[in-house]
Amino acid sequence: MSVTHSDRSVSGMSIFALARRVIARREATLAVLILIIVLVMSQATPHFLSMANFRAMAIGLAPTAIIAIGMTILLVSGGFDLSVGSVLALCSTGVALMIAGGLPIALSVIGALLIGAVIGLANGLIVTRLGVNPLVATLGTMSVARGVSLVLTEGFSVSNLPPAFGYIGGTNWLGLPVIVWITLALVAIGDLALRHARYLRQAYYIGGNEKAARLSGIPVDSVRCVAYVLTALLAALAGILLASRLMSGTPTAGAALELQVLAAAVIGGASLRGGEGTVLGSFFGVIFVALINNAMTMLEVSIYWQMIVTGCVLIAAVAIDMLLRRRRS
Amino acid sequence: MVPLLEIQEVSKAFAGTQALSRVSFTLAAGEVHALVGENGAGKSTLMNIVAGVLQPDEGSIRMNGETVTIESPRRAQALGIGIVFQELSLVESLSVAENIFVDRVPTRAGLVDWRRLEERTRAILAPFGVTVDPWALVADLPVSQRQLVEIAKALSLDVRVLILDEPTSALPPDEVEALFAVIRQLRAQGIGIIYISHHLAEIFAIANRVTVLRDGRVVSTTSISDCDMDGVIRAMVGRDVGAMSARSRSGTGAALLEARGLSRTDTFESVDLTLYAGEIVGLAGLMGAHRSELGRALGGALRPSSGEIRVGGQPVRLDNVQTALRRGIAYLTDERKSDGLFLEMSIADNIIAPALHRFSRFGLVDSHAAVVAAQERMDRLRIKASDAHQIVGRLSGGNQQKVMLAKMLESDPRLLVIDEPSKGVDVGTKQEIHSLLSELADAGAALLIISSDLPELLALCDRILVMREGQIVGEINASAATEEAVLAMAAGSTPVTANERPHERHA
Repeated sequence: MSVTHSDRSVSGMSIFALARRVIARREATLAVLILIIVLVMSQATPHFLSMANFRAMAIGLAPTAIIAIGMTILLVSGGFDLSVGSVLALCSTGVALMIAGGLPIALSVIGALLIGAVIGLANGLIVTRLGVNPLVATLGTMSVARGVSLVLTEGFSVSNLPPAFGYIGGTNWLGLPVIVWITLALVAIGDLALRHARYLRQAYYIGGNEKAARLSGIPVDSVRCVAYVLTALLAALAGILLASRLMSGTPTAGAALELQVLAAAVIGGASLRGGEGTVLGSFFGVIFVALINNAMTMLEVSIYWQMIVTGCVLIAAVAIDMLLRRRRS
Repeated sequence: MVPLLEIQEVSKAFAGTQALSRVSFTLAAGEVHALVGENGAGKSTLMNIVAGVLQPDEGSIRMNGETVTIESPRRAQALGIGIVFQELSLVESLSVAENIFVDRVPTRAGLVDWRRLEERTRAILAPFGVTVDPWALVADLPVSQRQLVEIAKALSLDVRVLILDEPTSALPPDEVEALFAVIRQLRAQGIGIIYISHHLAEIFAIANRVTVLRDGRVVSTTSISDCDMDGVIRAMVGRDVGAMSARSRSGTGAALLEARGLSRTDTFESVDLTLYAGEIVGLAGLMGAHRSELGRALGGALRPSSGEIRVGGQPVRLDNVQTALRRGIAYLTDERKSDGLFLEMSIADNIIAPALHRFSRFGLVDSHAAVVAAQERMDRLRIKASDAHQIVGRLSGGNQQKVMLAKMLESDPRLLVIDEPSKGVDVGTKQEIHSLLSELADAGAALLIISSDLPELLALCDRILVMREGQIVGEINASAATEEAVLAMAAGSTPVTANERPHERHA
């Protein structure tokens, strides 16, 4: 992975070299796989190629895709975050509780985002200042955040929200739900930012070699903290959008979501060792997993079997990548 | 007499480049055969073939007259070929004993026989003449002792052929002699040793024969008594290289950096030093003198517990590398691979790392400008690579070192603290690095060079500060200094005389 890779001048390269470079990128492989699944499924069942199916799929994958943006930045910098599913639940119940309690909608949304930011900051500080391993740190906040949302709601969903709050979750623009537009916009911004923004580029250095990054004068701790805050903020936003769509805050929402996000990001080319990954790749990973699940549902494969298949796909994707890499070196 | 190891006409190519062409090499029992050559000459490829890591395309290998196929490192072990790699391969969280015996720990009824393990470890370490506790964790050992553990590990396999790849690169001068004593002992036992080193002086001190590789071919194999250092260098680089000549200095300017009473608990104490514009100051000392730590403190990578640092007369606090860079101080680590470079990233990405802000507009990185700047640096420093997009991990050691220097220069420093500027690089590259450092000083920068290579310090520096146990114990004018004088001061074997006492010059 490199800053300059993507901008390499095409003129000086042969078509073959260019083709090889494109094929070597995970995004390209995934795009082809996604296309194949779409083609095969459109032949297999007439229901697949319908706007209704795509819309349902897009709404379903929106929270995963939004959180995957932050998770990718974290993975690139050599960290990761298990608390995202719980933060989503806490902020979805949080925003619902604040609105139900009479606060203006805008203020409630800001409040919920703040809750997310605080948890993200806590994650970041625990990891960088106290030196606690990210797995342990975010496992802890994952449990705390889930616990708080259950305590606040006593385990029940918070509903009876004013219709105005449901506007974003229930409206279509140009035939697509607003949530989907927001997701696409965030993915585009996230991808460009991680590729080109100076501040976020530093994540690749940190994930590539933390000691060398420190000695190069890169503010390692602050970049990592920002990555945790961004991830938690995105998880909070996903929670708010979910509450708006469902018109209720659910304390049990987003269970095991962190693992889905991690799986999608890894399928999309991010590495748990850090230094690798792109937002676009992770987004394709999210779509890929969602498509496989959708295809299996269409083909009436039981939900239990879907889990087995998803697990095998994750391992296969990473194993194939490792084999190809070994071949190349 | 049949040679112990006989490599005949071995060739090996990688993706179009011929790494070795028809290389022949013999090793007799009880011989130290040095293998020298510039970075990329094919030494590592040849040794990897002997160690079973790589397979030759052509040619054959015989041991004791019998043709053998070394298809794996395991097979090499079985044949009695041991290799001590440049990069240490020890498990830091395990004890010395467990590291030496790995999967061959003695057992009783399937359980590890700890007492026998300790006995065997002591038996193997005994000839080294140093006391290393078999139960000490490798993580707690100084680098020099780790090197011994690494050699002991190879010996525990009952080796007949021992390959030492840059065994002294991590050793302070005083421990090199201890290593040589071990090597002589092994030689007396009839073990054949292939000795790879960039330090030609070592080769003349320990080897019986020397083979020079250049561009994958054997240039010469001669008995050590039939050649001299200039001849070997000429054979290595294929041209005449001037001897390391002392730097001619152009006078010094204002004090750029002053340290007063700089201390850090258990590392260095009451360090006073001043660096003037336009001069190169050496920092000599043995292992345990804590020179690197002092260097890190001046570069903002390690916080001192007390004392004062002034830059350009202003007192400053160097809390981290960023603040040091902002003051114009750049620090170059001696740990190229672990702390210095982003091995999986491109040359351009590495070079711009400390100066990302200079290649950014409105917070976005201008990749084109970065590549152009990197390419310029590559041309200036003669970094051999296809282009700035090449991944740094695939470059040779010498080119990696140059990338690290290029990266440091990108922050446009006025003060440079450089730890082992020519660690693991060949003669030609070393000279290029030296002239680059000289140019920097001539352009008005102040340089502090930490090096365990005394001839390097003597040739490169204007004056040399000597550290011992965390304190600066003396200063020697480089033009008047000898290796013996510096070593004696570093080891504390001579009293510090009046003219060697630390003194401040007045600019």
